[in-house]
This record gives sequence, structure tokens and C-alpha cells, in this order.
Amino acid sequence: MKSLIENRFGLLALVLVALGALYGVAYGTRPAAQADTPPRPVRAPMESVTAVCPAAGGSTLSVVTPPAGQTRDQGEGGGGAVVAPLQQPADAAQDATKPNTGKQAKAKKAAGEPVSLQRTGVLWQQAMTAGTGAVSVAASGPMAAGLEGSQTARLESGSQRGLASTRCVEPGADAWFVGPGPAAATMTLYVANADEAPADIQIMIYSGEGLVLNDRGSGLVLKPGENRTVNLRDLAPSPLVMAVQVSTSGGRVAAAVKAVLGKGKGVDWLPVAAPPAKQVVVPGIPGTAGLRELYVTAPGGQDTVVQVKAVLKDGSYALKNKETVEVPAGSTTTFDLSTGIGGQPAALLLTSDIPIVAGLKITGTGMSQDVAFTAGAPSIDLGTVVADNRVERGVSSRLVLSAPFSGATVKVQLLPKQGTPPDPVEVKVPAARTKEINLKAPPGGDGRFAVFVQPEPGSGPVYGGRAIVEDLRSGQMITTQPFAPATIWALVPPTADSPSVVLP
Amino acid sequence: MHSVTAIVVAHDGARWLQETLTAVRRQSRPLDLIVGVDNGSRDGSGQMLAEALGSGNVLNLSRSAGFGDAVHEVLRRLPPAQPRQAGGAEWVWLLHDDCAPDAHALEALLWAADLNPDAAILGPKLCDWLDRRVLLEIGVTVSRSGIRDTGLEPREYDQGQHDGDGFLDVLSVSTAGMLIRREVWDELSGLDPELPLFRDDLDLCWRARAAGHRVLNVTAAVAWHAEASTRRRRRISASNDHPRRLDRRNALLVIMANLPFLALMRSIVRNIVGSAFRTVLFLVAKQPANALDEIAALGSVLGKPGRLRRARKRRRKDRKSGYAAVARLLTPSGATLRRLADMVQGFIAGAGPVDSAGRHHASAGASDEEDGEELLSDSGLVQRMFTSPGVLLCAALLAVALAAERSLLFGGLLGGGSLVPVTGGASDLWRLYTENHHVTGLGSDTWTPPYVAILAAVSTLFLGKTWLAVSVLLLGCVPLAGFSAYTATKKMIPYVPARIWLAATYALLPVATGAVAAGRLGTAVVFALLPVYAALATRIVAGSRRAAWGFGLLLTVGTAFVPLLYVLVAVLGGLAAVSFAGVRRGVGVALAIGLGTPVLLLFPWLAQLVTDPGRILLESGLHDVALSDPRLGAESILLLSPGGPGMPPVWVTGGLIAVALTALLLRRHQMVVAIGWGVMVFGVLVAIVVGRVTVDGVAAWPGVPLAFAATGLLVAAAHPARRIAEFAAKGGLRRLGGLLIVVVAFATPLAAAGLWIKGGADGPLQRGVRDPMPVLAAVGTGKGQATLVLRSDHGVVGYTLLRGRAPLIGESDLPASPDASSRLGAAVAGLASGRGGSYARVLLADGVQFVTVPRPVDPGLSRTLDSEPTLERVSLSANGGLWRMVQPAAVRPPAAGDSTHRLWLWAQATILVVVLILASPGARSAEGEDEYVEVPVEEPRGRRRAGGDRVPV
Repeated sequence: MKSLIENRFGLLALVLVALGALYGVAYGTRPAAQADTPPRPVRAPMESVTAVCPAAGGSTLSVVTPPAGQTRDQGEGGGGAVVAPLQQPADAAQDATKPNTGKQAKAKKAAGEPVSLQRTGVLWQQAMTAGTGAVSVAASGPMAAGLEGSQTARLESGSQRGLASTRCVEPGADAWFVGPGPAAATMTLYVANADEAPADIQIMIYSGEGLVLNDRGSGLVLKPGENRTVNLRDLAPSPLVMAVQVSTSGGRVAAAVKAVLGKGKGVDWLPVAAPPAKQVVVPGIPGTAGLRELYVTAPGGQDTVVQVKAVLKDGSYALKNKETVEVPAGSTTTFDLSTGIGGQPAALLLTSDIPIVAGLKITGTGMSQDVAFTAGAPSIDLGTVVADNRVERGVSSRLVLSAPFSGATVKVQLLPKQGTPPDPVEVKVPAARTKEINLKAPPGGDGRFAVFVQPEPGSGPVYGGRAIVEDLRSGQMITTQPFAPATIWALVPPTADSPSVVLP
Repeated sequence: MHSVTAIVVAHDGARWLQETLTAVRRQSRPLDLIVGVDNGSRDGSGQMLAEALGSGNVLNLSRSAGFGDAVHEVLRRLPPAQPRQAGGAEWVWLLHDDCAPDAHALEALLWAADLNPDAAILGPKLCDWLDRRVLLEIGVTVSRSGIRDTGLEPREYDQGQHDGDGFLDVLSVSTAGMLIRREVWDELSGLDPELPLFRDDLDLCWRARAAGHRVLNVTAAVAWHAEASTRRRRRISASNDHPRRLDRRNALLVIMANLPFLALMRSIVRNIVGSAFRTVLFLVAKQPANALDEIAALGSVLGKPGRLRRARKRRRKDRKSGYAAVARLLTPSGATLRRLADMVQGFIAGAGPVDSAGRHHASAGASDEEDGEELLSDSGLVQRMFTSPGVLLCAALLAVALAAERSLLFGGLLGGGSLVPVTGGASDLWRLYTENHHVTGLGSDTWTPPYVAILAAVSTLFLGKTWLAVSVLLLGCVPLAGFSAYTATKKMIPYVPARIWLAATYALLPVATGAVAAGRLGTAVVFALLPVYAALATRIVAGSRRAAWGFGLLLTVGTAFVPLLYVLVAVLGGLAAVSFAGVRRGVGVALAIGLGTPVLLLFPWLAQLVTDPGRILLESGLHDVALSDPRLGAESILLLSPGGPGMPPVWVTGGLIAVALTALLLRRHQMVVAIGWGVMVFGVLVAIVVGRVTVDGVAAWPGVPLAFAATGLLVAAAHPARRIAEFAAKGGLRRLGGLLIVVVAFATPLAAAGLWIKGGADGPLQRGVRDPMPVLAAVGTGKGQATLVLRSDHGVVGYTLLRGRAPLIGESDLPASPDASSRLGAAVAGLASGRGGSYARVLLADGVQFVTVPRPVDPGLSRTLDSEPTLERVSLSANGGLWRMVQPAAVRPPAAGDSTHRLWLWAQATILVVVLILASPGARSAEGEDEYVEVPVEEPRGRRRAGGDRVPV
């Protein structure tokens, strides 16, 4: 020991040993690299949902909430859905004090009394009397999880001959529509404010020539409970094709656009298109014959070239000579795909280097034509509900399911108006394929039913739509509706109480 | 012909009396009568008087009689005064028992009296009893504040420089050796019996002056005076008070009794202000007895207006008319300010505020002007600054820091990493520290972390600008650390080049650059303080009490920012206690003071911290996963690199390790090197433990333990550095080796500086951080309402509540109650999921009026908020979104106060002041007593009494 201390190298050796030991300790205690697993959001059922059916008069209103699944454990006893005409709080107060005075009161009476719904898994339908304006469907509690409404009008003659259906839409801050312009059809914008705060709305129109600027003022303010129609010809008379963006700078708006192409040319609602994105899937194109016209809008300030791929029954590929569409900055372009995808169930996969919005016009066959519209839609990761499906003599409802990226299995369940629903059916969609299913009405009903589609766990993104086709001697009537994600589940993100959020 | 009666008053003065009596009897001008008065002496003075003068000439009075009483008594018994004759008068010569006149003193006095017939009072030049060349008095004047002024330098030698024509016109002379005309004495009623001791002479002479007589100091006459009473060479029996208090009280009384009314009013004001100031200075200098005397004297004068009125009544005659003659002899008013300045300067220099000019014993503590190579140089300030290696080093480090922090110097708010954007001022921080219920976030009743108070104090120094204080502390961390390392190691490492190297290497350690990059204010402060701890610790193990208080205070500061520091210091302190406590006296107590002070000062907060031990490993500010590396490599830790942002490559410190290893080979200084390496090994071990611990999902950052380790290593490496110079002198291979070591050593700081400048200092810390509180929300929120900030990051929604403004530093360290925060968490999750429901109502109940999503806005989150019916969008752009609740939010009532909180704050402030006083430099020598050598001849030592008010130094 003494020699160690007195040795010139003794201390050095000691220190080196100590350092070696420290190195060993540090090395040994170093934790293994763990994969950075971000915390996953948790699914939780929706607790309240509001939807607005833009113009229910003369249509059949369908409302359904899919049955509570096995995972529905926290459904509360209370709540329910209320279907009632949208009215301003002031009018409601007026109603109470001065009943049966004037025209307005008559209109109210015509609109009908609020209907309360309590049962999930059962389709509710009612034909609304003409003159009914916007109808709000509000639900809380168990009825909220997956509440879906739609309105379908069917006229066999007149300028509005055809099937016209639309979903009842949830109010939001932003809505996109792509379709023909006021020069080609009578385009009417329906806006409604179902909230307690006023909504300040701006309407932007992207025509074939670019963004339409007008001096009439494209903004309007909706009081709580107010609904209005705007003839888009007043804002932009000339476009043949257009995209409409309805956005709010305050409050929320439920917007819908109806296109009336004229006598013998058809009528339908434009579905809400997915907001601008670099990759857009336009799903739900049925396998009927007829014209297919793609609309693409590039709202940014940059020209772009959009790659078009069709996802068909036999695979996903670019169409010959129709590989790309050029879209000038801020404008809308059409592109005829009738020879490419006509007659086959399909979805379109559009990619671009800047965000785009896309939609598609489907024209039925026959002497008197009818049109239907579909548009870019998100995938239905958490399932989707289609409220109104009809299978009757000469009327068929089809689901068009596409899995453009990887294979998927979906569970399809029919929900009749009464009686026990049949067992769900599993449908496999291979990767990069589209599959069309002809729905069969559940036995015992009147052929009206709702459909609840749920991807099985492990499936890739599934896109789709539903088409109702009615073959009449005067010509095929058609309406389509791309799948919208059901409002069954909300993803509750993990949260962290962290003062660091004040830092960028 | 004059007739002179000498009156010798004795009181316990046997030590001096013999010599005094001899001197009186040996006068060249013989005295007509010598009368002795014994004021109840117990040491045989009375007997001595009787032996010398004959018992018939000695008067025995009671012990409590004063000097004035004694003279009055004698004169009462003498035959009444004769009317003044031509060429002669009746004189009375007053003598103390400790005042020996020169043989020709009386002769000279009478000579002066003959030359100046209007002179009524004459006094000799007084010199020191022991060192007979030292001048004590050539007349005394007084300032309007009652401070006695002799006009002499302390310990001034008499070389005839003040002698003039043999006599001087003065305001007053001492009663020791005072020659006064009997008729004047009677006219003025002599010495005031209200003033048994001290300033009675001044009073008498003032009255004489006011009555139109002259007072002369005859420099041709000399007397040696021991000043036994004021120097407390003997106990005073005439009064129970301490002589110092008595002196001060009488001074005030004399001034106030003799000044005309208007001047009196001014004097009262200036004395109150002046006394308060002096009291504070005495307190700060740890002379509480002096402070008490000062304030008690003033109180006793002003508190007894009756006595003052009586005294003024007696002096009414001639007071106003004669004031002009007195006023020109008073100390000019400028002198008071100068003396005050001297006092403050003296205090700063460590001498203590002993205003020597006013003391009887004019002896300033001979401050030993040792150490400080900077001070010894007598060249100009500029030259000194530009040639001092320390200043040059700091300038270089400052330049390096400014170059590296170029992007952090100007612009908007400073924030990022651990630092919340710095908003608010010192007053906001003080309020945050002192309030007992914090309204921030969900509200919190916990103790505010004490570093808020420290930061508030520093901000106050920076004129209330917190941003400036934080910028200096954080961004200036490198030069500050360099400066403190350079100055703190002065005693440890006298070799300047080694000290320069040590300071530069220390300041540029990866810990420093990491602390700056991550905005770790706590580490930055501790990093700059660490060398000071080391320096003070060396003095503590030497047993210094004052260093221990200072250490305790600084450790409190460091612990408030980084609690882990206390653990490290406590472990080392324990080891030191084991090794040194037995060796040196007082080490144990000093260590206990050093380690106990932080516990006392930080008590409730520390107790709160101990209940959640994980937080001890974290430091002040925000804790973010990205700021530390839980998988820090073993080589990083051993190379003193704590991980996280702002790290240079690990090899940068290689040179330092290599040099320190080389130091192990030297045979000399092995003890210091071994201790240094011991600290290094200890620090690295703690760093490994700390670095592997995860607290609340955040890995702790081992910066402070590694700075600790580096300090040890640097001392080990730099201490034997003088050997290199020896190597160089030897030449040959050794010279080459020395050169190599120098190159390797200096490679570390140079490479660190270069890499730091090249890479820039900004990491997560940046300038121009946006104020997290949107202006619209700040305007729109009422009192008690809040804004919820949501930020989606990798799928996790982080949130915090702001109450009307951006959070202050320290507010992030206030935990809310678990109930409230889990309720808020659930509500935020519900809101961010967009599932509807009543979550928004929960938020409303918590006062949330606005919801904001700062940049970058997650589109999913903004869509969800847009779809929430209870929210109304105010704005949304790439810079962030803001939503308002449609309904007005609940305003919560403020919580009730808590008195214990306030009590503790007062207690804490008191303890802090006491510790500050104990830690601050005090008087090196309390009184002149110690230097006063005892009478060399006849008296044995041993009668010395220890001063009651001495302060242990």
C-alpha cells in the first residue's frame, strides 16, 4: 500500500482504475434505445352531434344512428336525437307569444313539429312537406354516436326531374364544392347557422379563368338559427365550371350547393369535397354507363399538373392518354374521363405537388338525363353510415368500395326501418382495387334501409360511395354520395399539461 | 500679578496620578495653590493626593460626582474672586488625574494670557500619554451634527506644524489643562453639572465665546493626556451609560442647547437623518452596540424636551448675539459630507465606520493593505485595466460570448428551451413571490420557488428590467464564470498564466454552452457561482465564520435555482467535516453555518421539494424531453459533456483530461491533485446517476455535477502548473515536454471558443419568440378569465392556461392541485377530440374565455375547434388561431389570504438581512484599544478589560 502511494505512477493508476470503473458503470446503465412510440389517441364515442339538412321540403328525410356496438360501454341513458326545422331564437319566441299570425306562422306549421328519436339501429324516415326549409338534426348521448341524416328528392318530371340527395352536413368553418358553374346550371348555395353565435361567411368562387372577384360583396352574416339561399349566378354569372369555398371568419356554417342543369339534363346536390390536399381520392363512381367529367381546382397561386390514376375492378393504373391534367393557378379545369372509366365502378386517385380539390359529374343514360356528383373524400377509418338506400323494382342501391393503397376488409350491415337487422356481411377489397356491391333489401321491409360500413382492424384506407340508380323508361335517374367518415367515434388525443407550449 | 489655583480631580486614576502630581509641582511658574479632589477613588488615588498635597488641600467627594461638580465644590470653598487688578488676574487651572503638563506649560499659558488680555480660557496642546509625539488636540471644534473635530489626522505627529505664533484662536479647549479666569468662570457659572463628563468643556467654551471672550489654545504649552475615560481605561462612575453613548448624547445636547432657534431646527432635522444613516451603517458593519448608542443618544436628547428647554433657558443670554462669533469656528458643513464619504469608503474597505476624526483617540484601524496585485500598482486606472490579465481574459471571453450569441442579442422576447419567454418586470416577480395565492393557470397555493425572489432582486438592480437581468445572467454566463473562476482561485493558484487557462477552460466548458443553448438560467447562475463556492470552502475549512455566512448565502442562491447543488455540497461538506473538523477549531461550526443557512432561508419551499424527491434533480424553468439525453454515452459523461443542445464535439475537453492526468505524475502538490481528482470522480459518479434518472418523463440533465467535476479537475491540473515554467527553464527535452503540455492544455479553451463561435449559441433558446398571449385575447379577457393554449405536437396535445398575460419566469414551477389539473386535462382532451359534450362548459367554469393555437397550427386541431359549437373563431392564420367561448367565462372569486405565508416572508427577510450583515465585511478592529500598549513602566498588565462591544472578526 505504502509503495503504491509513494510510487510516482501510483496515483495515476488509481485514477485510471476509477475512471475505468466509472466508464463501466456509465456504459452498463445506459438504457437501451427504445423505439419512439408516440402515444396513440383513444377512441371515444361522440357525445353530441348536430347536422343540418339544407332544404328538406319535398324530400324524404332519413335519420339513423348505428346500433351501439359492443364497445359502446359509456353510453349514458339520457339524450336522444331531435329533428326540427331550423329557426331563429327570436322566431321561436315569437311563436310562443303570437301563435297563428301571418304567413310566417303558417310556414312554421307546415314545417312540422320537432320529432324526437330515441332508438339506435333503426332508420327513421319521413317525407317532408314542401316549403320546409333547413332542418337540423341534433343528438346527444347514445344517439349522437354515428348519427347520420340525408334528404332525397325524387321527381319524375319537370325541370328538377331526377334523384337528388345529399347528406345532412355538420356545420364547420370551411366547405368546398366542385361542379358546374352558373353558366351551365342553376347553382344555389344553401347556408345555415345552427349555432348560438352569428356566423360571418365568405364565399370564394374559383372559375375556369381563375378566382372570381366581384364587387357585390361575397360575404354575409347569418344570425343564430338563420338559413339562406344564395344564387351563385349573382356572384359569378359566367363560369361554366367552378369550385366554391364557403368559409367563416367567425362562427360555423352548414353549406350545401344544389345544381339544376335544366329540363332533361338532371339535378343533384354537390357533395362536400375534401379540403385542398396534395393527394385526393374521388371515390364512389358506380359502374353505370354514361359521361364522367372530372373537375379539378388548384386554389393556390401556382399552376400544377395533376396525375390521374383510376382504381378499377382489375387494378389501379393511369388511363391511356389521360395521365395528367394541367390546372392553372386559382382556377378549375374539367377533364372528360368517360372513355376511361365509363361503365366500370371506380375511384380516382389524384396526386399533385400543390393542394387541389376535385369532384366528378356522373351523367345517367336515356332520353332525359339525370346527373349525380361525387367529390374528393376522406377514408372511412372509423366507419361510415349511409342513411338512405332504396331497393325496389327498377331501383338499385350499390356500394362502391375502393382500397387504393392496401387491401381491406369491411363489414357491411343493413339497418331496416323496422324488424331485426340482418347479420353483417364481410366484404374483402384487394389492394388497389374497386369493388361494387349491389345491396339487397332486408326481408320484411319496404326496401328502405340504412347501411353501416365498418373497416375491420388491420385494413388499409377504404374509400367509397353509394349510388342509387333508378331505370325509368324516360331515362336513368341517378344520385351518388361519397362516404363520409361516420361521427361514431372521436379520437381523444393524449394531452399533457405542459407550460412549454408557450414556446415555439 | 496673576494668582493661579490648580485643581486636580482624581477618580480611579492612580496609574497616572503620580506622574501628574509630579508634573504639576514641577511647574516653572509655581502655583499659588494646588487643590486635589478625589471623586471616591477606590485605587488609592485619594491617599496619593493627600500624600502629595497635604490632606488639608484634598477634598473627598462621592463616587458619582462629575468633573464639573468637583471644580464647583472647590471654588465654592475658596475665598470669593478678587476683582481684576491691573497686570494680574485670578486664574483656575483645571487638571485631570491622567493629564501631566509639561514643566513650562503654565508659564506659556500665562504668557499667552498676558499677550491677549481678552482671552478668558486657555488650553495647552494635548499630546498622547504614551507616544508623546502624537498630537491629540490643539483645540476642538464641533460640527452642527455634534461630531467632534480636532482637525488633526489620526496619529498625527507633532512637529510644530500647527504651532503658529504660539497660540491659536479655537472654539474650545479640553478641561484637561484648561486655564480659566475665575471671574469668567463665575460669570458663566462654570461647567454645566448636567454634563458630568464629555463635552462639558465644549459647552463652557461655547458660552465663553458667545459672551465675547476669547478661547485660545496655547501651542507653546504642552500636556500629555491619557484620555482614560474615553478609552475606557477606567470605569466611569458619574454615569451608568456607556461612554460612547454619553459622549454622543452630550454632544447633541450641547449643540442643541447653544444653537439659536432657527439653527436648532435645522440641526434637529439633520441630526435625525444623520443618526439614522449612521445607525444603518453601524448595523451593516456588525457593530450593533454602536448603532444602539447612536440611536439611543438621539432618543434621549429628543425624548426629554424638558431638560433641553431648561438648558436652553440657562443659556438664553448671549446665545443669539454671540452665535456669529461661534459659527465661524464650527466645522464647515462640507466636512460632514466628506466624513460621511470617508465612513462609507472605510466600510467598503473593511475598516468599519469608525469615524476616527470625531473620536478622542484618533486611531484608525491600521488596515493591512495586503494582497491584490491590482491595488498595489500605482499607475492610472486605464493602464491598470488594460494590463490586468483578469480584465483582458474577461474581455476576451465577453467577445467570444458576443460572437457566439450574435443571434440572441437583439430582437423580441428571449425564450426557448427551459426559459419561458421573458416578460414582465421586477414588480411582477416580487408580486409573484409575495402573493400567497397564485392566480396563474388553475391557481396554486404552493410556495413560490425562491429563485423568483432572487431574480426579482437582480431585476430590481437592473432598474426593474427582468429581460436585462436574464440576458446578463444567462447570456453573460461565460464571461461571468470566467471572471469568478479567475478571481476566486487567486489564493489557490497564484501562478497567473495557470489561472488564466483555468478560468478560460472553465468558462467554455460544454456545461456552459449547453446551459446557454437550452436557456437553463439555473445552471448558468450556479456555473458562475461554483468557483466562488470553492474559494469560500477553502476559507471555511480554515475556520472562517464570515466566509461560512457568505457561503451559506451563495449556496442559498444556487440551491434555489438547482436544488441538486445542495446535495452535492452537503456530501462534500460532510467529507470535509470528517477530515478537518478535528484538525482546526471552528471548522465544524463554520460548516454547519454554511450548510444550515440555505435550509433556514429556503425552508417551506425546501420541505415541499423533499416531498417530491424527483424534482430535486430538475432545475428551475421548463422541463422538456428534447433538452436532455437519457441515453448519454459513457464517453460523453467522462469527457464532461452533459448532452442536450449546444454541445461541442466530445473531444473538446480531451486536452483538459490529458493535462490533469499528467498532473498526477508530479510528486509535489500531490495532495491538491488528489483532492481535485477526488472531486472529479465524485462529480462524474453523481452525473451518471442523475443522467440515468427520468423525472416525470423527462431525463434529468447532469450539467451541475459535471461542472462540479470539472472544477475539481481544473484545480488538479492548474495547481502544479508552475512546474511547467521550471521545465521550460531547464531546457532540452523537458522544455519540449512543457511546451507540449501547454499546447495540449490551451487547445481545450481555444477549440471550445472556436467551435462555439462557429456553431452559434442558439439552440432551443432564441430571440424573437412570439408572446404566447394573443393581443386580441389579452384585450378581451376580463379579470380572472383565462386563455387556453393548445399545441399539438406529434399527436400529443399540450396545453396550459394563461391568465391575461404571458407566464412569468417561475410560474411554470407552481403545481396546481391534482384534482383541478386532471379535470382540466379531461376537458382539454374532450375539446381536442371534437366529440362534443359538456367539456367546453367545464373549461368555462375554469374561467377559459379564449382558446388559442400558436404556430404551427395543426389543421386537425383547428378543424376540431372550428366544429365546436360553443367556440367562435376570432382569427385563424398560419401564425396561429384564436377562438372565443360564445358564453362569458366564469370569474372565480379570489382565494382568501393566509397569514402564515406573510409571517414567513417577514421572517425570511429578517433572516436574510441578518445573514447579509454577518456575511458582509465588517470592521477589522473594533476599537483602538487593542493596539494600545500598556503603560510600560510601573503598571503590571492584567487590568485590561475586554471590550464589551468587540465583534469577532
